[in-house]
Amino acid sequence: MSLRILTASALLAGSVALPALAQDKPDLVIAVDNLWPTMDPVIGISTTGARVHSNIFDTLVRRNRWEDPDGTELVPWLAESWKQLSPTVWEFTLRDGVPFHDGHIMDAEDVAFSLSAERLWGEEPLAPRGTRYTRGFTRVEATGPLTIEVETSFPDPNLPFRMVTPIGFVLPKHYYEEVGTEAFGQMPMGTGPYRMTSFDPSVGVEAVAFEDYWAGEPPAASLSFEIVPEFSTRFAGLVAGEYDVVVSVPADQVDALDGTPGVTVMEKGIENYPMFAFNMLETEALPDNPLTDVNLRKAMVAGVDREAITAAIWGDATFVPTPFNFPEYGPYYDADRERAVPYDPEAAAAYLEASDYAGEELIWHITRGFYPNYEIAAEFMVEQWADLGINVKIELKDNFSLAYQRPFHLLNMSMSSEFSGDPYRPLWMDWGPQSSRFRAAHKTWDMTEDFVALGEKFEQTLEFEARKQAYLDLVAEWEDVTPGMYMWRNVVSYAISDDLDWDPGNSAVTIFDHLYVGGGDG
Amino acid sequence: MIGYILSRLIRAVATLLITVTLVFLFIRFSGDPAAALVPPDAPQEVIDQYARAMGLDQPIWVQYTGYVGGLLQGDFGFSIHTGLAVEEVFLARLPHTLELGLTALAMAIAIGIPVGAIAAIRRGSALDRFVMAFSVFAFAMPNFLFGLLMILIAALVFGTFLGGDSASVLWPALTLGLAAMGSFARFTRSSVLETINAPYMRAAEARGVPFRLRLIRHAAPNAAIPLVTLIGLSLGALVAGSVVTEQVFAWPGVGQLLVRSVATRDLAQVQFLVLVVAFTMVLANLLVDFLYLLIDPRIRAS
Repeated sequence: MSLRILTASALLAGSVALPALAQDKPDLVIAVDNLWPTMDPVIGISTTGARVHSNIFDTLVRRNRWEDPDGTELVPWLAESWKQLSPTVWEFTLRDGVPFHDGHIMDAEDVAFSLSAERLWGEEPLAPRGTRYTRGFTRVEATGPLTIEVETSFPDPNLPFRMVTPIGFVLPKHYYEEVGTEAFGQMPMGTGPYRMTSFDPSVGVEAVAFEDYWAGEPPAASLSFEIVPEFSTRFAGLVAGEYDVVVSVPADQVDALDGTPGVTVMEKGIENYPMFAFNMLETEALPDNPLTDVNLRKAMVAGVDREAITAAIWGDATFVPTPFNFPEYGPYYDADRERAVPYDPEAAAAYLEASDYAGEELIWHITRGFYPNYEIAAEFMVEQWADLGINVKIELKDNFSLAYQRPFHLLNMSMSSEFSGDPYRPLWMDWGPQSSRFRAAHKTWDMTEDFVALGEKFEQTLEFEARKQAYLDLVAEWEDVTPGMYMWRNVVSYAISDDLDWDPGNSAVTIFDHLYVGGGDG
Repeated sequence: MIGYILSRLIRAVATLLITVTLVFLFIRFSGDPAAALVPPDAPQEVIDQYARAMGLDQPIWVQYTGYVGGLLQGDFGFSIHTGLAVEEVFLARLPHTLELGLTALAMAIAIGIPVGAIAAIRRGSALDRFVMAFSVFAFAMPNFLFGLLMILIAALVFGTFLGGDSASVLWPALTLGLAAMGSFARFTRSSVLETINAPYMRAAEARGVPFRLRLIRHAAPNAAIPLVTLIGLSLGALVAGSVVTEQVFAWPGVGQLLVRSVATRDLAQVQFLVLVVAFTMVLANLLVDFLYLLIDPRIRAS
């Protein structure tokens, strides 16, 4: 297997005729806490992989975060245009003359392969982690040298939005097939602004500017991601000028570091919302579960002052969302919509009074250190619940598979609002019939009949005004049942050298192309 | 003597077997390795596909016999993340770890032993007290704290960076070797003190052997016995690298690989690393045991 990787390296090395020319451009070094062990952009779907992927690969469609931090506008990228041929068929027309890092020109075969059943959505696909983005795919076909068609089993008005997700990255079919899945992940090749020259999952990534990049000259001569597990060491490297960007500044150190000369700390809200799910089920492990009572659930939601807790922990870096009402949804977002169960200690007491709760201990499973500040907030909440007479005990678990082991009453989780153009993903995919909330071994609820009916209506309604109303009806049902509680919009923090003009927008995805470096005027 | 060697060998093999088994079980029962490969909200089908690919759908005893059978044939398995043979990944890291560990050990020996000897010879002097204070500090100082302090002071005060790719091995080696330096100094001091007052030293003095010669010919070999044990154990720990020091300095060695492999539940990689560490520890212990045969006539006689 290692031989294949050697072959992969040799193929890539041989493809470079000229060394990078731009001597006056900087060598950017990004110090990261971790990297995903494979750089296949679908097998490596993760925050730690997303730091690298967009610098090596391009997606068919892109979001414009260099001008709008929430990136609500779609930008044609490797796909020049797209149109709906029928309710279930979309056609994408590709950009002509885009070279991969070995000079091979991208065509419809590459795109059809990248989106194929074989790779993403068939039986036992090569990269099984992309299935959530390929829901309903029935056909992907190259219909011309630069056109492909994607057919789905149900009408999807928002299909182009899926092409900004990791499945939209275009891989070179010839190279992938030559080296195989695993070797590709160790020495990937794309059409992106930087060409990878080395990758060691426990050391880092090195890449050089791809001088033939189709979209514009890369602003750096080289780009490295160095794994530096300890934050203080990353920070020392930044202060000493060794690193240009440092990721994952611990939330409690942001203020202290912001005053360091030559260093700017950025806090960015991202499309992920930490929350907890109420376990509403009575199972063998939990025969008498008081949380089957909606009044207790509502008492708990009304009983915690999330605004105060969030402000105390995060300052103004983030906010408490109204369920499924997120700014990244453009026209679906309503800044004035309020929560059905707001903070109200008196209402909480009344809900509790109406419930059958008799002081039983409720266990909250929390994955240690996974969501920044989660444990601190949880302790505040436990105290507020204790004031009401609700007895919650936090149990920290070292990983999710341990957290999923029953019995538990509350389970930590987060909802991604990742781009589908509307609240379809967090609301229906993450709570509906396909969701792990409902299907997995660690399921926490059974959908109500109303939820199913409203959800199907939402799924089938395509016209905007009607779809928005269907979405609001579905949210109202969700809030009526109260199967969980949102805490805040997740935040990522970067510390960067003042010498670097770079802003990733509201995203954990880091891109160092001419649009994101230098204020977008490159 | 053959009995002595045999019993040591049997003990070594048993230790290895127990280690292999415990690691095999612990890593499987401390969280689902297939679930570690996917996001927390991944569908069950995806987790199941990974589990099948990794053979985790097999009964545990089938997995275990397969694993031990593989070991006996020299097949240590592949990393579930990269598909690389685990021993290759290890060998790529090993030079870094040996560079760091050997430098640290050399520093600890070169500084700790002479300083301890001098303290013993100048017993009760200010120098002795200073050396003992230093050795307590060196031994008690947690190395992550010492390393971080060095890194931060160097960056904030001197504007230089002691960690990462391009940094010198001296700083992480000093951090890693500090505790050993302290304990070497203490052991040397007490060991030399013991021998200095031994009857054979007085006898040598009475014979008119000069002081320096008494130290080198008579005191040193006797004082060396406990130090051999100490150095042997440090040597065994070398291959494991230093998890903490490597993390703090972003030193790309075996320790960092181990932390990462455990965090990502990379079964074969963790099993191999623990096996190698156990093997070197056992080997170092065996060497020390056999070295005793050479330097301690009492064991030979028994």
